[in-house]
Amino acid sequence: MNRNLSIPLLWVLLMAGGMWLSAMHVSVHSELSDLLPEGTTRTQGLLLTQVRSGLAGRLMLLALEGGTPDEMAQVSRELSERLRASGQFALVENGAQGLTAQDRAIVFQARYLLSPRIGAETFSSESLRKALEQRLDDLRSPFAPLIKETIPADPTGEFLTILTAWSAEDRPAKHRGVWMSKDHSKALLVVETKVAGFDADAQAAVQEEIRHTFAVLAGQRAHLRLLMTGPGVFAVESKQTIEQEAWRLSTAAAALVLCFLYASYGSMALVLLSLIPLTAGIMAGMLAVQGWFGFIHGITLGFGITLLGVVDDYPIHLFSHLSSRGSVSAVMREIWPTMRLGVLTTAIGFAALLFAGFPALTQLGLFAVTGILTAALVTRWVLPTFVPDGFVPRPVWPAFHGELERLTRMKPVIPAAIVLACSTLLWSHTPLWQTDLASLSPVSEAKKQLDRQLRAEMGAPDVRDLLVIEGQTEEDVLQYAEVVDANLRPLRTSGTIAGYDLISNALPSRRTQQNRQSHLPERSVLMRNLDHALTGLHFSPGLFTPFVAAVESARTQPPLQRTTFEGTALGARMNSLLFEQGRSWMAVVPLRGVADREQLAAGVRNWNMPAVTYLDLKEESNRLMTAYRNRTSVIVVCGLFVIGVVLTIGQTSGSLLGPILFPIMSALAVVAAVLNLSGESLSLFHIASFLLVIGLGLDYALFFNRLEGSEEGRLRTLYGLLVCSTTTILVFGLLATSSIPVLHAIGITAALGSFCCLLFAGMMAKKVPDVS
Amino acid sequence: MTSGAPRTDRLLSHGRDSGLTGRRALRWGSGCGCVVVLLGSLGHAAAPSQWTVEVLMGLLKAQREHSVPFQEATYSSLLTKPLIAHGVLKFVPPDRLEKLITAPSHEQYVVEGNRVTFESERKGVKRTISLEEYPALRSFVEAFRSSLNGDVVQLYQVYEVTLEGSREEWTLLLRPREPSGKSVVDYILFTGSEGRVATIAIRAPDGDRSVMTILRGAGR
Repeated sequence: MNRNLSIPLLWVLLMAGGMWLSAMHVSVHSELSDLLPEGTTRTQGLLLTQVRSGLAGRLMLLALEGGTPDEMAQVSRELSERLRASGQFALVENGAQGLTAQDRAIVFQARYLLSPRIGAETFSSESLRKALEQRLDDLRSPFAPLIKETIPADPTGEFLTILTAWSAEDRPAKHRGVWMSKDHSKALLVVETKVAGFDADAQAAVQEEIRHTFAVLAGQRAHLRLLMTGPGVFAVESKQTIEQEAWRLSTAAAALVLCFLYASYGSMALVLLSLIPLTAGIMAGMLAVQGWFGFIHGITLGFGITLLGVVDDYPIHLFSHLSSRGSVSAVMREIWPTMRLGVLTTAIGFAALLFAGFPALTQLGLFAVTGILTAALVTRWVLPTFVPDGFVPRPVWPAFHGELERLTRMKPVIPAAIVLACSTLLWSHTPLWQTDLASLSPVSEAKKQLDRQLRAEMGAPDVRDLLVIEGQTEEDVLQYAEVVDANLRPLRTSGTIAGYDLISNALPSRRTQQNRQSHLPERSVLMRNLDHALTGLHFSPGLFTPFVAAVESARTQPPLQRTTFEGTALGARMNSLLFEQGRSWMAVVPLRGVADREQLAAGVRNWNMPAVTYLDLKEESNRLMTAYRNRTSVIVVCGLFVIGVVLTIGQTSGSLLGPILFPIMSALAVVAAVLNLSGESLSLFHIASFLLVIGLGLDYALFFNRLEGSEEGRLRTLYGLLVCSTTTILVFGLLATSSIPVLHAIGITAALGSFCCLLFAGMMAKKVPDVS
Repeated sequence: MTSGAPRTDRLLSHGRDSGLTGRRALRWGSGCGCVVVLLGSLGHAAAPSQWTVEVLMGLLKAQREHSVPFQEATYSSLLTKPLIAHGVLKFVPPDRLEKLITAPSHEQYVVEGNRVTFESERKGVKRTISLEEYPALRSFVEAFRSSLNGDVVQLYQVYEVTLEGSREEWTLLLRPREPSGKSVVDYILFTGSEGRVATIAIRAPDGDRSVMTILRGAGR
């Protein structure tokens, strides 16, 4: 009596504590990047850093549409001005702006250190003469007002040379000075947020601000629309999708399982009793993940609830073995060895996920293992104390055994199915493996379409190709970058690449700047050369005094540094191209319009510069996904092996191994084939789910082949088994409807898998000798 | 006589930060404008009863010569003597305008459709820009193109237009309406007689100016 009360009491206390803990401490994340792995190689590390916080992630494309081109140009100007003023962006470009006044002043002041044209001959009297004649042409030209004011201090035109070198090539078409799509249906802008692209909350705030600013500007012009795309926009959408889905799936799964249980047994008491291990399992899973990772991901939560469909097996196994004869505890003890084996194998299957090295899978694995073990233990030791004596739930539909008999006669279907499955896999046109990292993203196809369209119109194809330059110091990196520049130029000329953004073009290394300084002549030499060059040209006397003074002061000017631009638009741009990474410095060189990746990669290899890495983000991410998939496959095989060992040890009769393992393996082949036929390529999440299928399948097979004392007992066991597997299939089927690819993959694989397992296990089940 | 056509903010609208572009474009535009007005300037038309901008435009439009030689003098505060250049202005219907400088060195500006090509022998460059990118320039070119077609309304939209003098000896004064235009061009002054332009002076706000004199009789 004492014991009977103490266990429920303890359980109630634990549950209350757990609930309190969950309410107070569990923090749910929904950022996709939280689920990305660290990468196993240095290149993958670079890739993932770039994906997480790099330039590519922070770029956002905006488009205005729905108005006349003039209207949109106007709004584009106003919007870009306001966004720039907001201070949230490292860069806001709509085609209208050159450098800011602040940046122009810095560049003008440092023109003799920045201009690539400065050399030994730049200030000879011949060169000066040529330059001066060109300035006379300038004065006659329509550009005169632009150039005139710089002539006295910069007669050799270094400032303009720098600006021309910096102005990017391949830009979109313009209308009224701002970027427009070719058909003038959209005004285009590009912004670079200061916050990382994958920081969904910060991104959401920035995007909300853009929307708000636009709404204010558009005002009466309600026909104008704002479109946004980019990794940041995707991150926000992913997060919202994940949050909604986690909620929707949990609620639906819980409702589905409970309703189905009620429908199968017509007993409210049974439903309530089942909740005891179910809630305990889920809470334990949640707390374990929270404790281990410090947060629980929305995807894990959405998946975790579907665990309901798995762990409800345990109470149902118990209920379906109850009879009016034995006590509940006795029945529990009797079926425990079988259940324990099923629990162990299922848990081993999930435990394998812990070693996948992919945070998404690790979380799911930990959640599931903890949940399953807890639910099983609660079923074993807590649940019986709650079950009233004489509680014998009756199947609502007892006439099912006839169907079952027919099922065993259909055994030959299995080999046929396997042959069919294998041939499907061999001759299918659908690629067997899915390797795109983008396949992780729950972003809708419409959004992806918009992204492609805007990128094409912007002439800004996906930031896919990068050079990464690493060095001990900033100066090292800049010096490497200058060598890279010299190496890239021929590739641009030959059309292998269309263009590139290189930090050293805006910020030359100290060495280069000092080298340029060494070419600046002494005052007396410069004046002599200048006088000589001016002969016969009717410039006002003394006009070039500022020039002589500027060269003189540039001779001793301290080299320009990145910090000189601190806080300016150009400075922000520089910080995204050159930054400190751990203890070294890193420059990122986005390459535009790569026509031939193999040639480029070969070219970069031939430079023999260990500091330079060529990254094809797409290729690299594919390699990453493939690496993790292979690792997961190995783990699945290992898991399978361990399960086999446990089975051999746990199962007294070795002859049962065949009927248990064979249906499962057949089911896996059939699932793979069906998925492939439906046009789905296998990702590492499908593979991981195979383990889940194995675990579930084992549980069914074990109970199918359990020797029962009576025909009636056997029938009730089978009925329970049907109920268990149906809830599993229902819940995973629900998961398959998710728009989150990870959950969809797990759901569809597990639902199909458990269905096939059940079917095949039923067909292969040993005929029990009629004892009665 | 001043014609007060309505201001259209639309035509020359751009923000503060595009001053650079705007200035370049205005100067450009005025150059192109000269070409068009000039090209329509040769020959006579039937004498109407009143001397108005519309009548003058009609005269300028009526005859279009495809090539006229000119001499251009540029006065700048940076220089002690004016720069003298010689060249030819050309118009190829329907929309190709050229300013070709033959001395002291070879230079060429070509406006065709929406594209402007600049070529300089001394600088060794050839550049093409799109009028789309320079909204002010575009409106200027459009305005002068339409004046070729007798579309006086367009001209009024960009400039305050003042016609003085008689049919035999007139001056046509164009002042940009927009602030961005005013910041680089103070005025453009045409002089002429009947449908023939004699000189085109362009004055910048800082006092620098260029005077283009059409060399009568040397062309044809």
